[in-house]
Amino acid sequence: MVQFLRFAGIRAVLAFFTLCLVSFIVFSLMELVPGDCAERYLAFKNSQGAQISVADIEAERIRLGLDRPFFERWVKWIFGAFQGEFGDSCILRLNINQLLGQKVWLSIGICLGSLLLAYLIAIPVGIIAATSRNPFLNNGLRLVSYLGLALPNFLLALMIMLFSTVFFGNSLTGLFSPEFRDAPWDWPKIKDFLSHVWLPVFILGWSATAFAIQTVRALMSDEISKLYVTAAAARGVSGHRLLMRYPARHALSPIINSLGFDLNRIFNELPIVALILTLTEAGSLLIEALARSNDQQLAGAIIFFLTGSIVAINFITDITLALVDPRIRRSILG
Amino acid sequence: MRKILLSSAALMALGGTAMASCPAVTVADPMGVAAGAYPQQYELAEFQTAANCTMEMSENPDIAAMNAKIRGNPDMPALADRLPSEPLVVAPYEMIGKYGGMFNALSNATEAGTSDFMSVRHVNLVRYADDLTTIVPNVAKSWSWNDDFTQLTFVLREGHKWSDGQPFTAEDVEFWYENLALDPKVIESPKDYVLAGGEAMTVDVIDPLTVRFNMPVPKPGFLAHFANHYAQGFQPKHFLGQYHPAINPDADTLAQSLGFDDGYALVKAYYGSSDWMDTPTPMLAHPDKVANLPLDAAPTLESHIVTSETTEGRTFVANPYYFKVDTAGNQLPYINEMDEIFVGESEVRLLKLVNGEVDYKAQALQIDYVPLLMENQEKGGFVVDLKPDITMPTIAFNVTSEDLEKRKVFGDLKFRQAMSVAMNRDEINEVAMFGLGTPQQYVGFSPTPDFVDPKWEQHFAQYDPEMAKSLLDEIGVVDKDGDGMRELPNGDPLVLNLQVATQGISIKIVELVGQTWRDVGINNTVKEVTSDEYRSSQSSNQLDVTLWEKSVPLAVVLGNGEIFIPPYDNYFNMRTAMLWGEWVDSNGASGVEPPEYAKQMMEDIKVFQAAQVGTLESDAAGRKLVETMTSNLLFIGTVKEQKPIYRNAAMKNVPEFKTASYAYYRTYPYRPAQWFLDE
Repeated sequence: MVQFLRFAGIRAVLAFFTLCLVSFIVFSLMELVPGDCAERYLAFKNSQGAQISVADIEAERIRLGLDRPFFERWVKWIFGAFQGEFGDSCILRLNINQLLGQKVWLSIGICLGSLLLAYLIAIPVGIIAATSRNPFLNNGLRLVSYLGLALPNFLLALMIMLFSTVFFGNSLTGLFSPEFRDAPWDWPKIKDFLSHVWLPVFILGWSATAFAIQTVRALMSDEISKLYVTAAAARGVSGHRLLMRYPARHALSPIINSLGFDLNRIFNELPIVALILTLTEAGSLLIEALARSNDQQLAGAIIFFLTGSIVAINFITDITLALVDPRIRRSILG
Repeated sequence: MRKILLSSAALMALGGTAMASCPAVTVADPMGVAAGAYPQQYELAEFQTAANCTMEMSENPDIAAMNAKIRGNPDMPALADRLPSEPLVVAPYEMIGKYGGMFNALSNATEAGTSDFMSVRHVNLVRYADDLTTIVPNVAKSWSWNDDFTQLTFVLREGHKWSDGQPFTAEDVEFWYENLALDPKVIESPKDYVLAGGEAMTVDVIDPLTVRFNMPVPKPGFLAHFANHYAQGFQPKHFLGQYHPAINPDADTLAQSLGFDDGYALVKAYYGSSDWMDTPTPMLAHPDKVANLPLDAAPTLESHIVTSETTEGRTFVANPYYFKVDTAGNQLPYINEMDEIFVGESEVRLLKLVNGEVDYKAQALQIDYVPLLMENQEKGGFVVDLKPDITMPTIAFNVTSEDLEKRKVFGDLKFRQAMSVAMNRDEINEVAMFGLGTPQQYVGFSPTPDFVDPKWEQHFAQYDPEMAKSLLDEIGVVDKDGDGMRELPNGDPLVLNLQVATQGISIKIVELVGQTWRDVGINNTVKEVTSDEYRSSQSSNQLDVTLWEKSVPLAVVLGNGEIFIPPYDNYFNMRTAMLWGEWVDSNGASGVEPPEYAKQMMEDIKVFQAAQVGTLESDAAGRKLVETMTSNLLFIGTVKEQKPIYRNAAMKNVPEFKTASYAYYRTYPYRPAQWFLDE
């Protein structure tokens, strides 16, 4: 038990450092981009006709605290962040906690939904594919998963939108219908949400599924030809029981292990897909903050949340793995 | 029995209206009614006299429901108590409209790319008529100047009310000026347009309907400022004043009881700490506190008021107290509700436009979109018009370049003439603008005012590479080392680094120009940079050539003359001759002294701004400005392009716009309160 607590403690400390490091990298990289938030904010004001002078930019910079060295700004930010206070978004001039609100949960929900979809499809299909000798099935699966791997998600999203525009006159964008945009969460709003969210889940889920099918199939094919399977078969275990009892169980361990990686990959793809589909969640705000407004506070906060959830997932998978796999269980729990 | 009573009452009412009803005058059919003092609109008394009738007012049947959606608004009184006793009578363009409908708008994000839609509900003291030259009354009923243009007096409408039913008075104008525009705790330093000759004005409230601006020096352009600007020269004193510490001594306590640090914080929550009239409301900026506040958004005089706001979009309903009626006496606006969504990705916006999901859009539409939009007009149920832009892609040589040999060459008028005729503007028009543009020289003003001799529009704007070569030979910019490219007179290589930010100019145009310059022996390279990088290089005097869009309308020059004063614009726009600018700013202490012609323009712009537009004095000064600017080719024009304007085919009473640009506050001259959806 002590060993387990130590294991969990080390994990937590590592997670803390990861969060600090990632936010520091984000802050530093954004520092390299020419121009800062004060300039960007006033530039878009100006593009709307406001007359702006260099003195205005200076005043704005001081107001935002951008005249302080960036290390100092980062330290201040990270202290706030661990107390749950992320400050104001520089370009939107809104409190980040309020701005993000449920958006982070929507993003995490979409990602977990895609992951779930991917595993629900990939595990049975991968197992079947590894054992089936049907060439049509195998080739069909190969085609689908290669498409999933090769086709960039944003292109898939654009193609689906284009298709829908041409045939149904509807661009399939957004997460809610206009009448539910500001409504409180209730059953009709959830239904409306589900009727929109399937598309990003499907798009993100497709490539994740393709990836997972490949992994499951390879692992299964590996396991299935091992001697202990042959031995079991010789003892008369056959069919379904034979598959589930040994090779599948072994093959699934690495899958659980890679849960964090898979989620990470989906997270990375989410912002672009979200931007295309004009989803109102954190991913599209992240692109906005990174690419358009140079908004260190906002980008830092979103990355902090996303990194935090990936770290959390990894932590959970480690524990799960420890419980599932006796070899790891023994090394941790003693 | 009841039926009979009701129907006879209805008959009597009908008879009553028939007796007194006013003709439904439109712009298309004036029905023999003489025009008023200003085009396309009348004061009520003026209209009743001209048409010999008494106007019966009527209202939108849904207006009570609209009022109920404005949180905090009290129940509405009858229409007669909501309309001013002196409403503005608007002649619709084609026909009397139908009430109802939802206006779908598309913007880029909160506060980004929203000005187009904001102009649809915009109000100000005055506005430009759709001829873009006449200033006409709007919120103000009338105005008058004293003889030397140092006192501007506005008369407001009797009985005009804010969207919460409270009276709108001269004190609201004074409040805006004294307590918002000039209060450093609200707006850090006063903007140039609230000053005259760099000094603050004073505001006198003469009576509740009369307010006067007193200026230290003449500023006739101040009236034009109100006609084309987003900053509305009035704010609700009865509402914002209660939180303003200078008005209400208990403001801080009141604000603290509502969860804000002090009164100013609450003023800013409603006013957005900005004169930009489209800042987030407390619904977006303080969602946790808004429920305690009396209103979701500050009262307005605009045609629609915001009722919900998130980072995804906003909704609006018609203002039950709006001050305009059509010629049949129907209170405007016709359109019930507006729904604005934010889409950051331009391709997705285009897709939504192609699908016909939007009712009107012009901002951020590029000429590249035209073929796709045109192709889908019928299927999507929309109409696309092409109208000239105000600005045009413009080129300037840095006459104060850090490299002294370059400075000498760029400062030579013959070099600039050579570079101007070495450009093939017709080719630019065909290749980059689908042949829809107009090749033109830069004259500063756009559209070119009548007082300008049209010859300047084509001054050195022809394509004549032979002339360019001989001019370059004359000034000693010749090929010395035989590589086919010309060198500087001292033998140093001459390579123009053309840094392009696509926000300011199309890279296609720059590549075409670069190619034709190379044809006459001027070597150059084209490099794309970000807008920020471009701006900081421009400001730190690092560029050989500045490339951006430029030109402003007469109306803007009247209030702001910086395009005739070195460095010829502000940080974000096209500048050149930074060291002349430094000399001007430092009163000659540092920088480079500008030549006589540049100093002359600085004198002429003062004369031009102090004279009343349309007078001989003003015309003469304007002519001189254009002549000096264009004959010296400080800026070299290319091709003036056209931009698309998109609207739902069912949107009626929308005239053809004269320009597709921000300069006259977009749709404001075309009176969107009388637009309606005929579905």
